[in-house]
Amino acid sequence: MEAHNGGGARDAIFAQLHDAGRTEQVTARLTDAIILGVLAPDERLPSESDLARRFGVALITVREGLAVLRDAGLIETRRGRGGGSFVMKADAPHSTLVQARLHGLAQVDLSDTADYFATIVEGCVQRAAVRASQPDSDRLDRWLNRADFSTVAGARTNAGGFYLELAILSQSAQLVRELIRLQAEFGPLLLLGMTDPDARQSLLDSNRAIAGAVRANDGASARQLATEQVRGLAEWLLNAKARIERGGAVND
Amino acid sequence: MTDTISDCAAAVSAFFADAFAELDGWRNDLSGGEPAVRPTDLDAHVEGLVVPALTGTSPLFVGAGFIAAPGYVRGRDIHFAWWLGPQTGNPLLGSSSSATRLDLATRAYTDYVRDFRTLEWYQVPQSTNQTHVTGPYVDHLCTCEYIFTLTMPVRIDADTPMVGVVGADVSVRRLETAVLPLFLAADRPLALVNAVDRVVLSTEPTVQVGQLAPHSGNWLECTGLPFRVLVGPDPLPRL
Repeated sequence: MEAHNGGGARDAIFAQLHDAGRTEQVTARLTDAIILGVLAPDERLPSESDLARRFGVALITVREGLAVLRDAGLIETRRGRGGGSFVMKADAPHSTLVQARLHGLAQVDLSDTADYFATIVEGCVQRAAVRASQPDSDRLDRWLNRADFSTVAGARTNAGGFYLELAILSQSAQLVRELIRLQAEFGPLLLLGMTDPDARQSLLDSNRAIAGAVRANDGASARQLATEQVRGLAEWLLNAKARIERGGAVND
Repeated sequence: MTDTISDCAAAVSAFFADAFAELDGWRNDLSGGEPAVRPTDLDAHVEGLVVPALTGTSPLFVGAGFIAAPGYVRGRDIHFAWWLGPQTGNPLLGSSSSATRLDLATRAYTDYVRDFRTLEWYQVPQSTNQTHVTGPYVDHLCTCEYIFTLTMPVRIDADTPMVGVVGADVSVRRLETAVLPLFLAADRPLALVNAVDRVVLSTEPTVQVGQLAPHSGNWLECTGLPFRVLVGPDPLPRL
């Protein structure tokens, strides 16, 4: 009789690749980045061919995706020298779009993605703490001291930047790759709460505590701090979703 | 058996000596130039030098190029002439079958580039006028691989300021392929570590790549490198 153990793992090898709806993926990725403020007004997007290469899709897919963004008024295309696709200045904040985005995501998926994100960040942070040398800790402190968490845009950029620094200190190329992928997909949404000054301050405090645990090579404390930090961000997001579903706004 | 262990250290030194010999060729070529250059001229020059070392069947380098000191390239404070070898499934850059130029125009790079003069791979060769090996570290800007960055200062004349550094990225995997068989042939566990005792490769299973390995026993220096081979490394506690 043939052994049946490991069948699930074997089947997973041949599972369908994530290639359905690639135009939608391109659109979703860029829309998130624009409405959640990761791409700034007037910023020029990479060229169409560059985007195609980076996303790993056909040029036509990128063109279709950009057309959707253009129709939605999120980008404009300028011709000629110095031309390209530029992020539009929003007359009003993109709050309607943000609301639509949150409304379109099921609570169960938001929670699950936040859990997955937390798991990756916890793994990065714990290993970073165990593996950081003295010069690594010095660099991390310098990085954090220079990072601006006082503005919304600064907090969003630097919150993600700090996760990346920690992933690098974990010495794992795969954790770095996964964190980059996950941040591209979920980062802007997870950091939605950065519009709240208290949330920005508490994130900065939490990051300082993590840097302290890294310096002390205290993996367990660093991991615990990361768990609490991501939970705080996820709770803000779930609260915002609940407010929207009740007919309110993203912010209180 | 000490012979085997010194063979290991020598093999590591020889691996990096070969890599630095390549960089030295580029340095000689570039140091024959003018005290200031036009960006397009420099780029064409550097591309011609480094791209052959990034392509082919088993390239030694995953990235290579020249980083100019401020003022060397006319009208430019910062100038990176850096090429990457063919990429498969790179999370940042996608895939490409040929060498591609590193594009610094994207915003993610700006913070990093702004203070490149304080970064180890630039700052050390500048202050010591010596070659330098940075790493191992995860390169999050280009390849997303675990690599070393080798750099060498370039001067037009011995007594003039540095005009930049030539550099190349070598993956840890590439070094491992070259030297691990020798390490495995030794009758005691060994670990290769860098200047902060970070493990590059190891034949002691509790001492793993990327970890810091405090060591109380004997060791051998790798000549010309900030690396040493730990003999019978202390087993590490679990994470």
